Amino acid sequence: MNDPCGIYLNLFLFSVGGVHFAVDAEQALGMTPYAGETEEDLFWFHEELGFGNRAVTYRTPTIVTIRMPESRPYRVIIDSLEDISEFSRHDIRLFPDLLEPRTLRNGMWGILVKDDRMILLVDFKRLLRGRTAVAALGEVAKHENM
Amino acid sequence: MEISTGQLKSELILEELKRRKHTKEIVDVEEERVKVVIFACGENRYAFYGTDIREILPSFEISWVPCLPDYLPGLINVRGDIESVIDIRHFLGEEKCSHGKPLIAMAVRGAFQSGILIDSIKDVVDIPLRTIQPPLTTLNGAARDLVIGEIEYGGEIVSLLDIEKLAAKISL
Repeated sequence: MNDPCGIYLNLFLFSVGGVHFAVDAEQALGMTPYAGETEEDLFWFHEELGFGNRAVTYRTPTIVTIRMPESRPYRVIIDSLEDISEFSRHDIRLFPDLLEPRTLRNGMWGILVKDDRMILLVDFKRLLRGRTAVAALGEVAKHENM
Repeated sequence: MEISTGQLKSELILEELKRRKHTKEIVDVEEERVKVVIFACGENRYAFYGTDIREILPSFEISWVPCLPDYLPGLINVRGDIESVIDIRHFLGEEKCSHGKPLIAMAVRGAFQSGILIDSIKDVVDIPLRTIQPPLTTLNGAARDLVIGEIEYGGEIVSLLDIEKLAAKISL
């Protein structure tokens, strides 16, 4: 669709553990079916997002390679890739104030409602940036305690 | 019928009624009252100030969100508005009730706004402000940090909870 105002986002829709997610298609370099690889730079989505003790079963795992500007690409395994859809930015809702500090740190920045279900928008770059910041703070604290 | 003073009995009764009404109005004006919402949670009854509760919602589908603590079970869609939900049982030390579907009390105070899971609504009553007693000094357990006072309802002591204290407990 012609998008002169840039108000539309192309999103990959997928679900993991029964929770619906979407990621900006511009972040993805490519997708390949997961075939049991065990490389150290390959991450499971539920571990990255903080599913905790919740049991998660992957039905059709897929590796998404995320474009990272200043480092090697980030590869994460997602599940049940459903669709690539166009959404208006105006349809994106904010997380409630109470939850937003935590969800933003974990890469979740907005919500879409489609067919009565909530879709959580994930920004992998934000997730990695948050993690880097936390790691840096940890390093500072460690040096201060020495 | 006429009384000896010449006043009609009906006039006397009317005067008495008006005097009583006037007295009642004075009492109503002088006695400050507050609305409280009494609800059940686990094995006990608690109350919120009515001004803090915008509405009571029937059982909603709660969309779980990763990375949140257990006392934040997720999100609800209230007529297009996405709201958080707090499981207050965590802060009250109550067990999860097995019977019936929980309700959601939409709480609003200042910048704080969230749904709060409760088991059922018992009553919404106006009570004189003076009947709210300070929290029992012997009050123990997890609920102590949220209690702002005690009220009597149906022969039971009900803990009045402070939404602000609940909000302060949630630090993400």
